[in-house]
Amino acid sequence: MEKFSQRAFLALLLAALLAVPGGTALWSRKDTAAYYENRTLAQFPSLTAEGLWDGGLGGDFEDWYSDHVPGRTTLLKLDTAAQLNLLRRPAVNEVVPAEGVLLPLLPYEEREAGEYAALAAEAAEPFARLSEWVRAGGGTFCYVGIPEQRAYFRDRYPAYLSAHETEISAGDAAYAQAMAERGVNFLDMGAVYNRQGRPENYYSAVDHHYSYYGAYAAYRAILDRLAAEGWNLPVLTEEDLDFTELPNPYIATRNRKLYNLWPNGERAVIGVQKNPVPFTRYDNGELSDRPLFVLPEEDYLPTTYNLYMGGDFGETVLETDRPDLPDALIFGDSFTNALETLLYASFNETRILDLRHYDGMSLEDYIGRYRPEVVLCIQNDTFYYLSGGNNAVWEEP
Amino acid sequence: MAFSSMAFLFGFLPAAVLCYYLIPARYRAGRNGVLLLFSLAFYAWGGLRLLPVLLANCLVSWAAGLLLAPGRRGRRAVFWTGVGLNLLPLLCFKYTGFLAENLNALGLKLKIPGLLLPAGISFFTFQAVSYLADVYRGTIPPERNFARLTLYTAFFPQLLQGPIVRYGDFGPLLADRRETVPEVSAGAVRFCFGLAKKVLLADALGTAANGAFAAGDRLSVGLAWIGSIAYTLQLYFDFSGYTDMALGLGQAFGLPLPENFDYPYTAQSAAEFWRRWHITLSRWFRDYVYIPLGGNRCSRGRHLLNLLAVWLLTGLWHGAAWTFVVWGLYYAALLAGEKYLWGGALERLPRPVRHLYALLLINFGWVLFRAGSLGQAGDVLSAMLGFAPGGLWSGEAEYDLRQYAWEWLIAVPAVLPVRLWLSRRLEFSRERGSALSAAALALGPKVLALCLLGLSAVRLLSSTFRSFLYFQF
Repeated sequence: MEKFSQRAFLALLLAALLAVPGGTALWSRKDTAAYYENRTLAQFPSLTAEGLWDGGLGGDFEDWYSDHVPGRTTLLKLDTAAQLNLLRRPAVNEVVPAEGVLLPLLPYEEREAGEYAALAAEAAEPFARLSEWVRAGGGTFCYVGIPEQRAYFRDRYPAYLSAHETEISAGDAAYAQAMAERGVNFLDMGAVYNRQGRPENYYSAVDHHYSYYGAYAAYRAILDRLAAEGWNLPVLTEEDLDFTELPNPYIATRNRKLYNLWPNGERAVIGVQKNPVPFTRYDNGELSDRPLFVLPEEDYLPTTYNLYMGGDFGETVLETDRPDLPDALIFGDSFTNALETLLYASFNETRILDLRHYDGMSLEDYIGRYRPEVVLCIQNDTFYYLSGGNNAVWEEP
Repeated sequence: MAFSSMAFLFGFLPAAVLCYYLIPARYRAGRNGVLLLFSLAFYAWGGLRLLPVLLANCLVSWAAGLLLAPGRRGRRAVFWTGVGLNLLPLLCFKYTGFLAENLNALGLKLKIPGLLLPAGISFFTFQAVSYLADVYRGTIPPERNFARLTLYTAFFPQLLQGPIVRYGDFGPLLADRRETVPEVSAGAVRFCFGLAKKVLLADALGTAANGAFAAGDRLSVGLAWIGSIAYTLQLYFDFSGYTDMALGLGQAFGLPLPENFDYPYTAQSAAEFWRRWHITLSRWFRDYVYIPLGGNRCSRGRHLLNLLAVWLLTGLWHGAAWTFVVWGLYYAALLAGEKYLWGGALERLPRPVRHLYALLLINFGWVLFRAGSLGQAGDVLSAMLGFAPGGLWSGEAEYDLRQYAWEWLIAVPAVLPVRLWLSRRLEFSRERGSALSAAALALGPKVLALCLLGLSAVRLLSSTFRSFLYFQF
């Protein structure tokens, strides 16, 4: 038996060692993206003298090979399933399954509470300039700060994990205070949601965004704030909308990192207008026939948060041809997407920019050219202290 | 190229094995040639820029070896010239920056060169020095065949992290060896187990250790202990895992390499630890530095001086930093203390206390070894002794225990000779006629090895944290 087992073992081992390169050569060379990892796969490295000399070629080949092993996604899915269900690790693929929600694993390192005042002052300054400029042109600027899902569900983290409590409490408070001190009309949705009792259904359990219910609450809070500023805008009330749960599986950002293996029945919700406000849409300057909600053709096909407005675009314009209403400019991150499906109905023309993707002109020039009466910035609180993107709102001369 | 890379496991390795065994055993030079070509390719994978240093080392050793043949004139000068020429690249690449930094601290304004250390230089330099010393002493004849000496230096299983091989053991096998199925099979099993040690245990525990050493003001007493123990385990599984892979590969090519570890964490003293940890390095220092300096057959003062010299060099060999110097001196002090002060009392203590004594000292030593600076070492050590800015316990410490619970659970028994104990029991039972034990002995390690290979490959795919610790030396 010993002899047989030795030969059989060596044959199996060699077969396994050869199967991987063989399979890679035959099947896996053409894949370009890893869906669950939300990234592009490494490309086959090009042979260069420099790469050979400094070893860069070896590193690039390793990246390519690791990315193109046959059955890679299946193997990683199995690994994730084992980590999640068998080994029951507190965090798998940097996602924490905690009390009915999926949260990101956060580093323990955090800024001291005392550091935020100076940082917030610096971050608020460009928005103060922008706000003054919009006001000087007769318009209204409002900055809507929205808690990210991990901030909304921060009390769900196990006690031994970091929820970045200081960032959420001291950081968000300092930011709101810095905006207020500089006269920026800042709408803190965290405080609004708190006053409403932080309903569970306002946020997704498996995605870093809010749900459509949370977006609708934000929409109403924004219109209330604009009404307080003197704008008499039409409002889509709950009676004007049919809140419909889609039948499609919802592939959310957090669960996607777990290969959608975390059991949950969450479905995306849309608010269909009973009497829709018609619009003409342009994406990045091109006429577009995309609807407000981009839905899969079949019920069994999965959907994502990108169903709202079809995802992020550098520039989107929605014209409703109602010149009696003011024009609006909305800029911000993906939290704007769900809100856009509601907000456009209150304006004549709604221009939407994501400054992370838009590079046509500066925001200052953009406002100067299109003269919107209402300018809204909508960002989630994890972006408050970042530079660039939708925080690059005012260039110093 | 790292053993724990997809390119090695599923490209280089099967290609090397196939090319090697496609050549009939009677063409020994052909098989050696395959090993040499693959070894050079293995090294050049990290960049062709690495090859000149390695080849220059081989050339110097080969030429000096020939000139050191018995009966030749000026052997002493040739020996020291050869040793000097081999040590020169090591000194330049590894210590120039450290020297410049320290001279600058004294007020000079030297430019600190940004030299990239060729991987494995500390290991192949020591092998070359041992070859020259053995030829000079007349222990072995000089090798006339340049390719053979190059293969000795560059043999890919042990090129980057040892074990440090003597030519007297390796050279004869190049001319005459037999590769057998049982040996190849045993080597392959050992390789898979080594890979799993590195990929499944060391890398996970390394994440816990990294977090603790980077904790700064968050460092609690619990986290400091967990981090230091995690590093103690990481270092063992990383280095002994690599060694298992190297020895397994050597066995598969009919070139057995010397053992480097003998369950070091079962030691009962610092001296015993160093007889069990990185054995080939300890022997190298013993044979080529300590004994030539006079060893312990001299006055107490001279012996202490010898210990100090050996451990200062051992520290510096591991890295050009003051933490390594202090770590080396720490062991010099411990070994001198055990020899002249508390060794007798230690032997009279109960065995569990002696184990605890050794483990604590080893653990403290690894803190010095791991720390990025003496300040960081001081922070971690003082936290372990109760002076922690983060208090007694922290969530981070609990996370490290929970997140890596399986690794802790497997790692602790895996540092003990459980495998030896188990195989002895099974062999005993087999000899008494147990078919189950016979089957377990024949199939168990092989089935487990295949499973571990699969698990390691999956972990490699999902992980980016996979650099071997001993590459830096």
